[in-house]
Amino acid sequence: MAGALKKTTGLVGLAVAENPHEHLRILYTKILAALQDIPKDAAYRKYTEQIVNERFNMVKTEPNVQKLEDKMKSGQIEEVIIQAESELSLARKMAQWKPWEPLVEEPPTDQWRWPI
Amino acid sequence: MLAAALGLARAGLRAAARPAVLLHARFEGSSTTETRPTVRPKDEVAQNQLCAFGEYVAEILPKYIQQVQVTCFNELEIFIHPDGIVPILTFLRDHTNAQFKSLADLTAIDVPTRQYRFEIVYNLLSLRFNSRIRVKTYTDELTPVDSAVSVHQAANWYEREVWDMYGIFFANHPDLRRILTDYGFEGHPFRKDFPLSGYVEIIVLNFPSRSVSTGKKE
Repeated sequence: MAGALKKTTGLVGLAVAENPHEHLRILYTKILAALQDIPKDAAYRKYTEQIVNERFNMVKTEPNVQKLEDKMKSGQIEEVIIQAESELSLARKMAQWKPWEPLVEEPPTDQWRWPI
Repeated sequence: MLAAALGLARAGLRAAARPAVLLHARFEGSSTTETRPTVRPKDEVAQNQLCAFGEYVAEILPKYIQQVQVTCFNELEIFIHPDGIVPILTFLRDHTNAQFKSLADLTAIDVPTRQYRFEIVYNLLSLRFNSRIRVKTYTDELTPVDSAVSVHQAANWYEREVWDMYGIFFANHPDLRRILTDYGFEGHPFRKDFPLSGYVEIIVLNFPSRSVSTGKKE
């Protein structure tokens, strides 16, 4: 497993991740924990849990890095790690912003009318 | 003879750069007249995909999104309340299904007849999914708006330009000052009530190089 590391990601500034399965497992667990702060009926929680569980299952079942990348169809495994990190920070911020509440304020009647 | 041959060779090279088909097609008479109107064919697939994504985003963020539309040119537009600028831009940048990592443009529109006369427009591009989205907010002359610099670094100079040209103040901007107008310039030129040739006349001298205001005011 350790000997099968690829030489380079091909992307500037993105180092090859050693042990990406472990890294992704930690990130996905953290995301699911962060999502617990969001009410169960919020659409963001529903869809994000769906995405995370799907990818988590893929990570758990597929030990080979190349095949995992092909299954996820989301670029290289290092990019998938970056996506998971941003999703984690987003989930924490969403718990603060609470965007599932109803509309804050209606716009004035002709605000979005075009042509005027 | 040699010169003529060289000239022909040069002309031949130049003609070869353009495909030979073009050279013939230009002078061909129209044997069959085209009767179909020249309108863009409807791309149903792209339209449906964009509609579906628009509904997805509106379902996740109902607190700030007032309206979602897909134009006839297959462009997705989201109209939001100004409080939701940072949440929505962060969502579009960070969410796995969105990943709009690139802020392509940040501009404003002035419609003086409206209550909130300025409309701020953010154009985002997703490199992962090769798609674009437009986010629009509104404000008037005196209400500040949250800066997008915390989400996209590219917004820095764009917001300076919007401040300089329209007078829209961005709160939490690291360095909001004029960027295009002259140093002592008064006014915000892109507003609809600012005249085309401005208020003050300027003479630009080359020797010595300086610009002098004539003091004549319109």
